[in-house]
Parts: sequence; C-alpha cells; structure tokens
Amino acid sequence: MKKIDKKVADSYFREKTRNMIIYFAIGFLASFGVVFFAEPLSDISINGFPFHYFMGAQGAVLTFIILLFVNAKMGDAIDRKYGIDENKNEQISSGKVLDH
Amino acid sequence: MDTQFLVSLSIILATFALYIGIAIYNKAKETSEFYVAGRGVPPVFNGMAIGADWMSAASFIGMAGTIMLLGYDGLAYIMGWTGGYLLLTFLLAPQLRKYGRYTVPEFIGDRFDSHTARVIAALCTIIISFTYSIGQLSGSGVVIGRLFEIDAKLGTMIGVVLIAFYAAFGGMKGITWTQVAQYVILIIAYIIPVVFMSLQITGNPAPWLSYGELVGKMGELDRELGISEYFAPFTNGTKWQFLALMFTLMAGTAGLPHVIVRFYTVSTMKAARWSGAWALLFIGLLYLSAPAYAAFSRFILMTQVAGSKITELPAWTKTWVDTGKLQVADGNGDGVLQWNELIISNDIVVMATPEIANLGLFVIGLVAAGAMAAALSTAGGLMIAISSAFAHDIFYRVLKPNSTEKTRLSVARWSIVIATLLAGLIALNPPGAITQIVAWAFALATGTFFPALVLGVWWKRSNSQGVIAGLLVGLGVTLAYIFTAKYGGFTILGIIDTGAGVFGAAAAFAANIIVSLMTAAPSQKIQEEVMDLRYPEQMVYKDGEVWMNDDGSKSV
Repeated sequence: MKKIDKKVADSYFREKTRNMIIYFAIGFLASFGVVFFAEPLSDISINGFPFHYFMGAQGAVLTFIILLFVNAKMGDAIDRKYGIDENKNEQISSGKVLDH
Repeated sequence: MDTQFLVSLSIILATFALYIGIAIYNKAKETSEFYVAGRGVPPVFNGMAIGADWMSAASFIGMAGTIMLLGYDGLAYIMGWTGGYLLLTFLLAPQLRKYGRYTVPEFIGDRFDSHTARVIAALCTIIISFTYSIGQLSGSGVVIGRLFEIDAKLGTMIGVVLIAFYAAFGGMKGITWTQVAQYVILIIAYIIPVVFMSLQITGNPAPWLSYGELVGKMGELDRELGISEYFAPFTNGTKWQFLALMFTLMAGTAGLPHVIVRFYTVSTMKAARWSGAWALLFIGLLYLSAPAYAAFSRFILMTQVAGSKITELPAWTKTWVDTGKLQVADGNGDGVLQWNELIISNDIVVMATPEIANLGLFVIGLVAAGAMAAALSTAGGLMIAISSAFAHDIFYRVLKPNSTEKTRLSVARWSIVIATLLAGLIALNPPGAITQIVAWAFALATGTFFPALVLGVWWKRSNSQGVIAGLLVGLGVTLAYIFTAKYGGFTILGIIDTGAGVFGAAAAFAANIIVSLMTAAPSQKIQEEVMDLRYPEQMVYKDGEVWMNDDGSKSV
C-alpha cells in the first residue's frame, strides 16, 4: 500500500461525479423534459410519430442505453488514467467481502 | 384437448425442462451461492439475468396492454422502468458492490450500525417483494388459466405451487443461470409476434420503424369515433400524475432489493457498471417493442374485430371470455360489436393478440412459454429477496447468530414456500391490474430504500436515527397515500395511487436529513467507510488519506 496525493484521489472522484451529472442532465431532458413540454412538441412529426410519442416510446429508452454504455466506457478510461488495474480490483474485491 | 392446447403445453414443458435442468446442474451448496451466486457472474450474462429478473409478468403480459388502453399516458411505464437504470447504475450499484454484503438490509444494518435499521429494512424488503410477487402470481394465473381454459384463479394456484418449488430449490446460483435461459426465451417469444404483425399490417419486418404511421392513422380513426386520439397526451390523468408515476418507477427501480442484489453477484465496481449497461440493452429490446405491440393490437382490434357481427365473432373471443378478462356485449342491440362495446383487460392483450392476428399454433404457444418465463424468473428473484431478508437479516444476523449453515438454508427455503403461498392467496382476488399492483411495489421502494440508500452511500453524515426515521416516514407516507388515493379518492395535483412514491421519497429524504442533523454524527469508522465508496476497489480511504493498494493484498 502506498499513499497517493489526496488531490489526485479527489480529482478522480470529481471527474466521475461531473460526468455523472452530465449524463443525468441529458437523461432528464430526454424524459421529464419532453413530457413537460409534450403538447407543444406534439406538432413535430418524426418517422410518422408525433415527437412526444416518439420520445416516450423510443427516444428516451435509446438515450438511456447510450448513456449507460458511455458511462461504462468513460469509467474504464478514467480508471486507466489513474492507473487502476481491474485484475487487482478483482483480487481485492473477492478478499474484502464479508464472509459469513 | 385441441391442438393448440397440446402445442402450447409441450412448448411450456420443454422450456421448463430446460430451466430445471440448469437449476439442478447449478444447485446451490453454500450460503454464498444461494444468495449471491458465488459472485462470479460475467457482466453480459449478468445483464441477461437482470433482464429476466426485471422483466416480470407486468412487463411481458401487462405493459403492452396498459399502453394500448392508456395511449401516450402508458409510456410513463416505458420511460420509468428503463430510466431507473441510470439512477441505479450511477448512484448505487457500484458503490453497494464495493461495500460487499449479501443483501440490502445488511448494507443498511452495517452502514448505519443498527440492528433496528436492519430489521426495518428487512421488513420493507419483505413488504415490497411480497407486493410485487402478487402481481407475478396473478400474471401466471392469466397464462395458465388461458392454457387450460380454466378460471384465472385456478391458474394462479397452479402457478403458486410451481414457483414455490422452483425458487426454493435452486437459490441464486441456480436462478442466475436459469434466468439467462429465461431471458432468451422471453425475448424471442415477445419479438416474434410483433415482427409477424408488422409484416401482416405494414409489410415491413422491423416493427420499431413501421408502427409510427399506424399511430398517426389510429389518431384519425379515433377522431372519427369521437374519442380522444391514441397519442394525445394526458387524457387519462394529469401531467403531474405522468411525471410522478415516471419518477416513482425510476426511483423504485433503483431501490428494489431483488434488483440491487443482482449487482452483488458480479466481481467488481467496473463489472457492476457494465452489468447495468448490458442489462438495459437487453431490457430495452422488449421495452422498445411493447409500444409497437400495443399499436398493432389496437389497430387489429379496431379495424378487424370491431364492426363485425356479434354472432360471427372469431373463436378466440369465447376462450378469453371464459377466463373472465374479456367482455363483448352488444350494448345497443344492433347485432354489431362496436369498438366501445369491446372491453378488454390490460392483462390479456399480449396473450390474446397472437390469436387475434391468427399467427398460428406455434407462436401462440411460444408467447405462453415466454410469459411463464417472465413470471417465473421474477418470482424467483423476489422469493430469494424475501427469504434472504428473513433467513439472513432477521434470523441469522439478529435472532440466531450461531445457527449453522444448514439451518439457515432450510429457514431460507421454508420462508420461500410460506411467502409464495401467502402471496398466492392474495393473488386469487388481485386488488388491481398487474401493472398497477407492481407500480405499488415501486412506490414503496421509492419511499423507503431509494432515499435510505442514496443518503447512505453519498452522505456520510446520515446516521442510524436518520435512516430509521426516513424508512418509517417514507413507508408510512407512501402507504397512506396509496390507500387514501385508491379508496378515499384523495389526490394532490391529480396524482393517483401509482404515483405515491413521489411524496414518500420527499418525506423520507426530509426526515432522514433533519433527524440525522439533530442527532450525533456516525462514528469515524463508518464515515471513512462511506468516503471509501467514492473510489475504485484499489484505492482505500483511511484516516483522511487515500492509499493505493498496488500489491493487490487482501488485507484491508
């Protein structure tokens, strides 16, 4: 075990939190945002659907799926940047579990 | 005994043989295998298992029907039940995985260092999972009832016996791999009829692209009939109800014990993150198809069934009328069945549509098998959650800490049997449609676990008094709102029983924060454990410093 600079650890946490807030904002707009403005948006038509219906039935779900994969990928990238080794995570994790 | 019965039954039996085979092959021998499958499930397969666990009778049997009857307003279920995975995967799953426990009550009990909180959380788990399983059992009742052409009640009883046997036997390890198989069966069974209907009606094999026009066309038909357009927003409730329901379903997803436990079955935080992504991809396949299913069913019913002579209705109507879930009455006595004289229950749309659209024996049988897979897999996960809350959190951690592994496993199995029987009794006279019952379970999870877990993971100052107050206030407010809204007719901003979680969550967050601040801060050790959840496994937070565990040593 070696100590790492608190600033480095903090910036790891800050980067992840910042990304998370961005993802939440996008997801929120795609779902709650569209519902809130459903009536005015219904005049726009996309692929035969009124826009609000399209977002509810397909657009929001696709957005969520993409956000989750982006999060997983970006999470890996951040881990790499800070020198986190997944194999070691696995070892530590299997040892840390409270066994009973 | 007609051919359809034989075909459906043999498909169902063949899939059952597959599940049971997998369960026997993977039978749990140790406690850790019973509860968390030895924690070695790879993310893609875990994603499928989460998908099967997640997509219940409500998603498979109930959702398309709900969307068909509610129109746009039913889409709250689509967005709510998928969007919840953002909350879960970002806010809770990896952190809870790092904390490394067996169950949600165990996290709450250890994080807040309180047996009282543990027992309350265990009771909440039991209440939530129990409510949810009522919906599953009444769903399997619909399937079995149709199959044997008997009353749905009798079907429910047969389902109870099946589920009790099946969940008690395998534990989590058996269930995880069985669920992977169940996911494959249920998604095929769901998508095939939608593709066929899409071909039949639009000539395009990709339903996701083709049903947009239909939605518009049905709007015109509705205008001619003088009813509100299919896609018109907020015709069945206020905008606030839509938003409240959507929030409740999202936050409830993040707080459902039987779903969270799924993220304990993977190896690391990274695996938890990927599991969430894969899970939503697999779940999304069905959720993107459900509104298409709804649109095609409605279109067929409107154009091919409504308007036909009451004496010349197709054969499928009789079998469904027998289950008590379909009514065709010639109200105005003109000998013709009008659109508004056709009363179809939410719960049979998916099951009946393949027959209505004449998709053939095999597809009808496949849909029945898929519906059984959905009901069984979720019921299995729910029963594990109930039995672990009782056998692990209450019996072992509080009542009898010295009990042997053998005793604990047998307590776990018996609690499954008893819980299934009780839920089955209530499901005989279900208090609502499947999706509605399930929405109550989500409201309860939103009002209790969502605030408790989010604050437990993200706010180190939250303490045992706070979480106890939060859980009790959240549970009380949610239950009170569900009952007063459903039976007393009391609503705020038009928000009905299914959106109750919004008030429960707000009250629980407030109670947790206020009480925590008024009482002493948690111990230094607990606060450090919470800080530690900010970092991946390899970084360890200790005495205000962060350490890098480079040698991968297991001593922490």
